[in-house]
Amino acid sequence: MKNKRFAIVLDTNRCIDCKACTVACKTENHVPLGTDNYRNWVGPEPLRGTYPDLGQSFTPSQCQHCSNPPCEHVCPTGATTVTPDGIVHVIEHKCIGCKYCMTACPYDARYYNEEIEAVDKCTFCSQRIYGENGQLPACVETCPTKVRVFGDLNDPNSDVSKLLAKYPSRVLKPAQGTKPNLYYLI
Amino acid sequence: MSRLIDKKLSRRRFLGLSSCTLATAVVGSQVKVLRALATSGDISAPVAGKDDSIFTTCGMCVNKCGVIARVRDGVIRKLDPNPNFIKSRAMLCARGNAGVQLVYDPDRLKYPLIRTGERGEGKFRKATWEEALDLVAKNLNTIADKYTRAGVMFASTEGTYQDHFFNQLAECFGSPNTVRHPTLCLSSNIQGFSATYGTNPTPDVLNADYIIMSGANRSEALITPDSIDMLKGDGGRRKIIYLDPRFTKTAAKADKWFPIKAGTDMAFILAMIHVIVTEGLYDKDYVRDNTVGFDKLLPHVAPYTPEWAQGACEIAADDIRKVAREFAEAAPKAVYYQGRRSSFTSNDTQMRRAMAILNAIVGNWDVKGGMIPNAGIKLTPHDYLAPWYDDVPGRIDADSVAFLSEKDGSWPVVQERVLAAKPYPIKGMMIYKQNVLASVPDRAKTVKMMDQMDFICTIDITMSDAAWYSDVVLPEATYLERLDPIESLGGPVPVAVFRQPAVEAKFESKPCLWIMQELATRLGEEIAETFNFTMDEYIHHQVKDNPKILVDLKEKGVYFERTEPDYGSTVGKKLKTISGKIEIFSQRYADKGLDPLPVYSSPQAIPAGKFRLIVGRHAFFTHGTTANNAYLHEIMPDNTLWLHSAAATQAGLTHGQRVKVRSSVGEETLSLEVTDKIRPDCVYMAHGFGVMSKGLSNIYGKGGCDAALIETKYCPISGNAAMHETLVEVVPA
Amino acid sequence: MSSFLKHRPSLPLWLGLLSIGVLIGVAGALNVLINGHAQVYNVTREVPWGILIATYVFLVVSSTGLCLLSSLGHVFGIEKFEFIGKRAIILAIITLLCGFGAIGMEINHPIRLAIYAIISPNFTSAIWWMGTLYGLYLVLLCGELYFLMKGMHKGAFAMGMLGFIAAVSAHSNLGAVFGLLEARPFWHGSFLPIYFILSALVSGGAIVSMIVYFNHKQSGTPMPQKYEDFIDTLGRLQTLFLMVLVFFVIWKIIPGIYGHPPEKYEATMAMLTGPLAFNFWFFEVLLGLLIPITLLINPRTRTPMGVMWAGISATVGIFFMRYDLVIGGQLVSMRAGTSDLRDGLLHYVPSVTEFAIVIGAISACLLLYTLAERFLPLDTDEH
Repeated sequence: MKNKRFAIVLDTNRCIDCKACTVACKTENHVPLGTDNYRNWVGPEPLRGTYPDLGQSFTPSQCQHCSNPPCEHVCPTGATTVTPDGIVHVIEHKCIGCKYCMTACPYDARYYNEEIEAVDKCTFCSQRIYGENGQLPACVETCPTKVRVFGDLNDPNSDVSKLLAKYPSRVLKPAQGTKPNLYYLI
Repeated sequence: MSRLIDKKLSRRRFLGLSSCTLATAVVGSQVKVLRALATSGDISAPVAGKDDSIFTTCGMCVNKCGVIARVRDGVIRKLDPNPNFIKSRAMLCARGNAGVQLVYDPDRLKYPLIRTGERGEGKFRKATWEEALDLVAKNLNTIADKYTRAGVMFASTEGTYQDHFFNQLAECFGSPNTVRHPTLCLSSNIQGFSATYGTNPTPDVLNADYIIMSGANRSEALITPDSIDMLKGDGGRRKIIYLDPRFTKTAAKADKWFPIKAGTDMAFILAMIHVIVTEGLYDKDYVRDNTVGFDKLLPHVAPYTPEWAQGACEIAADDIRKVAREFAEAAPKAVYYQGRRSSFTSNDTQMRRAMAILNAIVGNWDVKGGMIPNAGIKLTPHDYLAPWYDDVPGRIDADSVAFLSEKDGSWPVVQERVLAAKPYPIKGMMIYKQNVLASVPDRAKTVKMMDQMDFICTIDITMSDAAWYSDVVLPEATYLERLDPIESLGGPVPVAVFRQPAVEAKFESKPCLWIMQELATRLGEEIAETFNFTMDEYIHHQVKDNPKILVDLKEKGVYFERTEPDYGSTVGKKLKTISGKIEIFSQRYADKGLDPLPVYSSPQAIPAGKFRLIVGRHAFFTHGTTANNAYLHEIMPDNTLWLHSAAATQAGLTHGQRVKVRSSVGEETLSLEVTDKIRPDCVYMAHGFGVMSKGLSNIYGKGGCDAALIETKYCPISGNAAMHETLVEVVPA
Repeated sequence: MSSFLKHRPSLPLWLGLLSIGVLIGVAGALNVLINGHAQVYNVTREVPWGILIATYVFLVVSSTGLCLLSSLGHVFGIEKFEFIGKRAIILAIITLLCGFGAIGMEINHPIRLAIYAIISPNFTSAIWWMGTLYGLYLVLLCGELYFLMKGMHKGAFAMGMLGFIAAVSAHSNLGAVFGLLEARPFWHGSFLPIYFILSALVSGGAIVSMIVYFNHKQSGTPMPQKYEDFIDTLGRLQTLFLMVLVFFVIWKIIPGIYGHPPEKYEATMAMLTGPLAFNFWFFEVLLGLLIPITLLINPRTRTPMGVMWAGISATVGIFFMRYDLVIGGQLVSMRAGTSDLRDGLLHYVPSVTEFAIVIGAISACLLLYTLAERFLPLDTDEH
């Protein structure tokens, strides 16, 4: 049986930049307070156009759980590792705090968590998705307008697979070769 | 030489030995690390420990979304959305998630407090409930003796499901002076639509194909399910037209944004009506059969041409025409979305009347995609016999505006009359949850009003400005620590909600009912009798005729009887208007000497060098109470004054500069944000900053207070405060 | 050795100043241990490598350079360079250890590194290789010093050769720590590993010239002709290295601005005209390159003193080269619109504690070397 390949598909047309996902993530994952400490974010995009013909988009994001993760390549102690399902995570007790993974990440997805004394980042809420109730990641579940859809790319019947089949999508910084697994519908 | 070498060798040996020892010591101290070597680090292994899941509803804003509190070892670990809660479409916003902080906030009120210093100094001492409650009762009785029972005013706002206990106490105490939040918000909407339809309906956003919003910033002023439904996929049919002096997040989502001149929405609406009636685009059959006064509408809107409106609201006549035609074409699945807050201008009620009329003539009443009358969940009310008092006068704000709500009053009028002590003095204030110093326009006036009081008591969960300025502060248990009565959330698809405690109430905080019962006991037996029940008994009484409500609430966290609106429930029945029909022409208004059809009046011209101050919302704050919540605070730690780049250049001001904003009633200092997301003739600042209370440690000293700048203006029909009529000047600080 | 007993007045002052410097460093370190990194350092999630990393690189490049120059003597047999052998190696060891100290204060869990680098090494990690190769290099340096002290030339040669290989591997790999990051166009590519080696040669030459000059100044005796010849040769060699370095710097800059390559351009411009411009033009170019070249290329100024001043100037310049490289590569945000950008760039200024630790590390270096000079036989006249 094939492994799962977890991914998130985002429809940013729906995003209203309400910050529900960022607060849900912080409370669910014990991210310490402080504006440098976060696992996910909603990008403040610049205003387009000139008054009164203005436009603005909002781009939520987090760790891309790349299939070719530079963070995993550079970690000296193997603290950053990837599960068979594609989730990139940090084994806390192995992290030496050299922050190489932070300079290696093209997405600024990581931060150093003083409370667990290790580098921290989105884990697709592994405690929820592998937990008893099989819940969705907090950011996916809480979103008022359902911007994010979470699922298994290796399952052709999953919502994510169907969305990516039906609609064109893009990823962030494709030229980096990281093969990210956050897909933004165009 | 050799001696030195020997010395060096032995030194080396010493160094070697000591560094080995040191290394061993250091490594040994990392026993935790060594032990952890054994851990697999496998994250797909299930996490130890199990949560208790408790159904409740959120208390962070008016929406009251269903929540599942995940509690482990007596600590609320996370608040998750309730997947059964249809009204919220199973979501939980930033504030809902941040609600957990209310319980663990170091700033939360913990004990009853009695003031020791001067009012506003913030010097309190911890007191027992006994002492505090005795003091409150004593003062209330003293004031009652000296000034009659109307000498105490009871200010409250909704949301805890227990505010009606507070108002029950007010009623049983014998004061007619209950003041609630609607005149700071939506009274004009209620008035304008009720005058037309007999009720204030809710637009069926999910099924509407064409939605026009006047300043109802649904992507930031979240209302469930509208904020969600307006974005739901529809195959691209739905169009959203959004009118606002600001480019808000709703403007970013809308199909078309018009930077309408502030306060001129009525011109736009009247011109739309003009187009629709003159071009015969209205639903002729519907109007003939279901409305009265259409014949008077035609001549009335004759002068309100799109060309005229263009001059008034600065939206091109062609655009107005286009929108009007599209609106009529899409009808009846077209709504002019009236929103909630109707505190724009002193003419707001008539503007909402115009909205209601526009909706009526395209025949969207009580049909799919149109304006739906609200239904509710039937609960058995708690009947009590309030004691009768002989000498108590009527409401202090009686005979002030055309249609005053007996229970809600009109805040601007109350503020004025209490200050003037006319027609009689009010010397006591009981405040429940409402942050009057932040919510009521003209903060300096509110301060003066409170200075006149002999006694002020606030019941709250944090040291709001109102609490800061009080004589006695009583800590209420937060919504996550309480068992609350059931409430019906009315709407096209009504739901019933209640709350169960996720954790025990911390410190000495108590639910409102307990506080009211304790006060009632001290105020008199007759009053205490009306409170003679436990919360459990109260709740069971509420569902006496329908026990399934409580069963569903406990098992699913929500009770509802339908998942779709009951379209056409009013067909064949009389509406709650004089004629029983939709009143385009309002005889009721005519009888009161008010314009029976909306007459346009332009907002005050803005002189050079001044700007109109407008207020608004953000999706991560609720009014004046949440900016101090640590999780929400870090999203926006400070407020800024928005100013258009052209206006800034002209005034010689730069982005980030500290500026003073001055109105006729106050002056505030904050940082300037130069942005083109606002009309050049307006300025905007977020609500909830510039606080007086040092007990709000995250935001004290940050930003400016809009309430300190807004002048007292209000609609003479509804008493709704008009918050967009203040002109300010902006100068370097 | 008794020569050290003369000219007393400046030595206590020198030792006193350095001790104060070390104490400042210790105070900084205590502040970190008590209050934690987040409270006392100015590094952020977007600029996680600060002046401590730059100082580590600076000290380690000095160490490598000293090793390489020392190798010219007893590995490659260039007689003129033999006599600096011991001094260069011991200072190479000291600078390496102080470099480790600097980075040890930056990393949150240095002990975990020692454990997990062995238990679960990641061979694709340039930092793993950095730790391993520098560890090996340190061992080889110590071995080399032992053989040199003992006068065992065959052993010194063998250790020296292996040490040379280790030095070049470790230091070019250090360049690769930066150069392998595709996310950072300012660093990415083959350039940095090569540039680091050249930079090490410059650095080594600069420090050696200081060692020779100050050592003889201390002794109070006039400099022997042999040493003056050496200084002159060193000066000429240094001129060559510096000119090649100028060539390298120019060819680093041109691809950084030609065609405005995204992110690389902004980082390069940060150095040329932006927040790091003063560092670049005054410290890197003027002090680091132009003044040394000017002094060294003219025979009249290529005196021991001139070469020494060129060395100090170049060393200061090289410190800023490391700082600008490390910081410059992080000033361009990975995401548009993060935090507060100033002129489109992130910003970083070292905190007081970080400065303190840098001062401590450099002072410790100088102090340990001064003590080494005092207590160890570092002359290589017995042959």
